[in-house]
Amino acid sequence: MELSKTQIDRLGGRLRKGNITDSDLRLLDEYRRSFTAAYGIVAGGIRRRLELEPTGRPAKSTTSIAEKLRRESIRLSQIQDIAGCRLIVSDTAEQNRIVASLVELFPDNTVVNRRQTPSHGYRAIHVIAKVEQKGVEIQIRTTLQQLWAELSEKLSDLIDPAIKYGGGDGATKRFLTSASKVVARQEATEVILLEAQNAASGLGSDSALTHQTIEAIISGERHVVSSREEMIQMLHMLIEDAARLKQKE
Amino acid sequence: MLFLIEYDRSRGEIVTFRGFGGEESRSAEQARLEMELDLNRRGVEREVVLLEAENEEALRRTHRRYFEDLAQLVS
Repeated sequence: MELSKTQIDRLGGRLRKGNITDSDLRLLDEYRRSFTAAYGIVAGGIRRRLELEPTGRPAKSTTSIAEKLRRESIRLSQIQDIAGCRLIVSDTAEQNRIVASLVELFPDNTVVNRRQTPSHGYRAIHVIAKVEQKGVEIQIRTTLQQLWAELSEKLSDLIDPAIKYGGGDGATKRFLTSASKVVARQEATEVILLEAQNAASGLGSDSALTHQTIEAIISGERHVVSSREEMIQMLHMLIEDAARLKQKE
Repeated sequence: MLFLIEYDRSRGEIVTFRGFGGEESRSAEQARLEMELDLNRRGVEREVVLLEAENEEALRRTHRRYFEDLAQLVS
């Protein structure tokens, strides 16, 4: 028998308070398993129809659910990422293409564009596909967005869980904010580069390319390389700083 | 394939790692529940997560945080 919304939200209340019992864990497990079919449809659809290979998390961990309930004024039944999967793509152009395909594949959807509205520096696009009355969150991240997110999570694990949500010490926060801005600059450069490449392809032959277009393409490509290097350098500094903070503990 | 991971967040390290075939999803879910019950009874705080990937290599690519330390993440 399916759990009622009241049962689910009462369970959420207990998870928020802590002191979780065996029966709470069993109930949560039952609730999470109710997403398995929807998850299978979404992950299977991505594989078959888009020929992409997502990595999935059929159910959010108990730790992450309890933390989310404590952090946000949200009920368990409202959490949208109980089940989800992730796609890593090379750049923003590919990200846009895949988001468009997912929206077409799963017409009942909500798109959360964290490129337009980053969450504490986190950048990505999420498509929440609703199938069989259940939401399944599909995270689409570029390689740089993924690197930033992995680093932010690792720092949260090792130093302070608040880091992932804009908290933590000032130095780590400043570094993550700066690194996120570098990612944003990289994305803006990719857009300019793509526009220049499109303009160039529309002109037909190389001889028809204007000096301005060629310069735009060369400059864009240089920016893509240099901002990636800048981000890597910044992350190395962050790691040294993180190691220093860990030693202080 | 499915992968059951027991992860110690404060140390940033995997404690146990177990793989299941794609057709063993019920066994994997049951193993996750039993692990959570055991850790909860012993009062041990760990993140227990069940992930699905084409293979372990793909999982290591998309969930590097579980497998790598800070320096490895940006290498």
